[in-house]
Amino acid sequence: MTRITRDMIAYLLIIVFSIVLFTWAIPTYTPAYPGYGASPALVPNVAVGVMMFMAILSLVTVAIALYTKKTLPKEETEFPEDLEDGGGFTQIGRVNLYHLARIMIPCVLLVVAIEYIGYMLASFAFLMVLQYIIGSRKWLQSIVVSITLTAVLYIIMRYGFGVPVPGPQIFE
Amino acid sequence: MEMIIAGLMDSISIYSLMFLLLGVTIGVMIGAIPGINGPMAIALFIPITYYMTPLAAIGFLVGLNKGAFFGGAVSAVLLRTPGTPEAAATAWDGYPLTQQGKGEKALRMALYSSVAGDFISTVVLILIAAPLAAVALFMGPSEIFALISLALTVIAGIGTSSISRGLMAAGFGILLGLIGTEPVTALPRLTFDVYQFGSGLSLIPVAIGLLAFSEILLQLEKLVGKGAGEHATTEFSSKLADRFLSFKEFFANTKTLLRGSLIGIGVGAMPGLGAPVASFMSYDQAMKRSKHKEEFGKGRLEGIAASESANSSVVASSLIPLFVLGIPGNLAAAMLMGAFMIHGMQPGPLLFKENAQLMYGIYGSLILASLFLLVIGRFGLRFFCKAVNIPALILYPIVIFTCIMGAYLGKSSMFDVGIMLAFGFIGYFMRKFDYSYVAFLIGFILAPEWERALQQVVIISEHDTFMFFQRPVAMGLMVLTLFVIARTFWGSICMRRRKRVEAAAAAAGQHKAD
Repeated sequence: MTRITRDMIAYLLIIVFSIVLFTWAIPTYTPAYPGYGASPALVPNVAVGVMMFMAILSLVTVAIALYTKKTLPKEETEFPEDLEDGGGFTQIGRVNLYHLARIMIPCVLLVVAIEYIGYMLASFAFLMVLQYIIGSRKWLQSIVVSITLTAVLYIIMRYGFGVPVPGPQIFE
Repeated sequence: MEMIIAGLMDSISIYSLMFLLLGVTIGVMIGAIPGINGPMAIALFIPITYYMTPLAAIGFLVGLNKGAFFGGAVSAVLLRTPGTPEAAATAWDGYPLTQQGKGEKALRMALYSSVAGDFISTVVLILIAAPLAAVALFMGPSEIFALISLALTVIAGIGTSSISRGLMAAGFGILLGLIGTEPVTALPRLTFDVYQFGSGLSLIPVAIGLLAFSEILLQLEKLVGKGAGEHATTEFSSKLADRFLSFKEFFANTKTLLRGSLIGIGVGAMPGLGAPVASFMSYDQAMKRSKHKEEFGKGRLEGIAASESANSSVVASSLIPLFVLGIPGNLAAAMLMGAFMIHGMQPGPLLFKENAQLMYGIYGSLILASLFLLVIGRFGLRFFCKAVNIPALILYPIVIFTCIMGAYLGKSSMFDVGIMLAFGFIGYFMRKFDYSYVAFLIGFILAPEWERALQQVVIISEHDTFMFFQRPVAMGLMVLTLFVIARTFWGSICMRRRKRVEAAAAAAGQHKAD
């Protein structure tokens, strides 16, 4: 998929999202106009209107350029890693869903697990898994980092700020 | 006068000094780690400031930001890996000096230039913010509404190559900033019947997710599987002339330092530009005016002085629009605005009237932060150099876990951790698709104030559609907003047209060659 195709899909999704907000979300979840001041739906509608207008404008601009078969500059059609100069500080690029899933899933599992097995065990297991995913194969180092970080944050939260750590307090 | 003395005395209390020192130290250490910058550090540490007094909290965060700006130079000079765009110009001359074994000398130049730029900028802030705020007090809701509209359009261009995508991001930020209790009816709005949304989305999980977590996701993507976790260690020369900076060498760059500081102050005071612009502009000017142009990029101290003095002076000067108008000029200022709001204060001209003692305390902390930076940088330079060598395999799990626990800490709620993860996910896509997360975050922060001003205008004017025509300043600002939008779009159209012509010419040339 070229960058311009991906951008067009993104614009279309934004337009659909805006229509859903206009027709369902804002009318359903906004209080009725109280009879004074501006309507509670005014600013949300303006914000969504800006999003939708800009998405339509961008889509039309790209469509016209493609229809008239104008030669588009490389940075509009290709990803920075495909360009010769690499794109400087830009972070535009292909989405790596596999990488995203590898990091996000353990984080989501931590949020769920912490409620059942408590902060200590869940955090230790999470840090071990995360280090393994990132590429650490030094088990002793991983164990030391996991235990130290879990303990340090426990001490900071519990005794430094007096905040209860999340989940059941298994070791108390 | 009593207020000034009381404020300054507050800033030199042991409690405030301790957190200020801690902020600067952590800031330099964090900034030295490639990929972690000032706003990201502020986002990570804001939850901790819940438990501090307002002065200690703001002092800590300001110290953190100042420290991180100098810290960014450490990785730029030693590894040629500028963690932030503004440190790129420092790397151009800093890294060649490191290759010659003069890395310590380059860092000392960076330190003294940072401190000088920061100090000059802080003095300017102190001298002009309060008088300007007194003028700004005459602004009513119409002017505030128009001003925020202007700020949102100016800021929409930051962090993206497309103003349209910037405005889309700002619109999305405003929309999410409106979730919670509607100000006029006091009824829930856009909460989707989720009770945790009743008080709105908290800034802390949103900021940590967008700034820190999504950045880590991107950095890990580059690192995982490439074995880039270990950095090369840096060798320093043991010769005194290669390690230390002589008075002669420092004073030879006085003009460059002053010029850089002035450029930084000017750029920082204007919302939407920021440190990278100041840094590159100053470097460019230094090179053009130098008698040794050919030595730039090969290890010239003047290049480091130009870049560092300019980017560090942005730190204090970007607080001018925040203190005077309540408009954050850049991401770090937006995060500080969030910190003010968490501590029950609304940045803007009223801050000087309602919290005068605190403001003078903050001024004191700003000056002391510059001095602390000098002392800590001077004596801890070799230690901070080690921070750049922390292996990624240890660093990233620590940062990710800190993001998670930082999001939890704000309200002791795992729901906020979920919000942080969601915004990390959104931030990843925003960066990959070139939608400005800066515009999003500033829209998110300014949305409630923007709506409040609009409601006040509508209620005061009794639904008069032409209310802006009766307020010349507000009308001027609205016209300026439209001008900025038109100007940016026109510039963008011209640039696209030029690039297409160039691309077509290149394609025709290629066709002929074939």
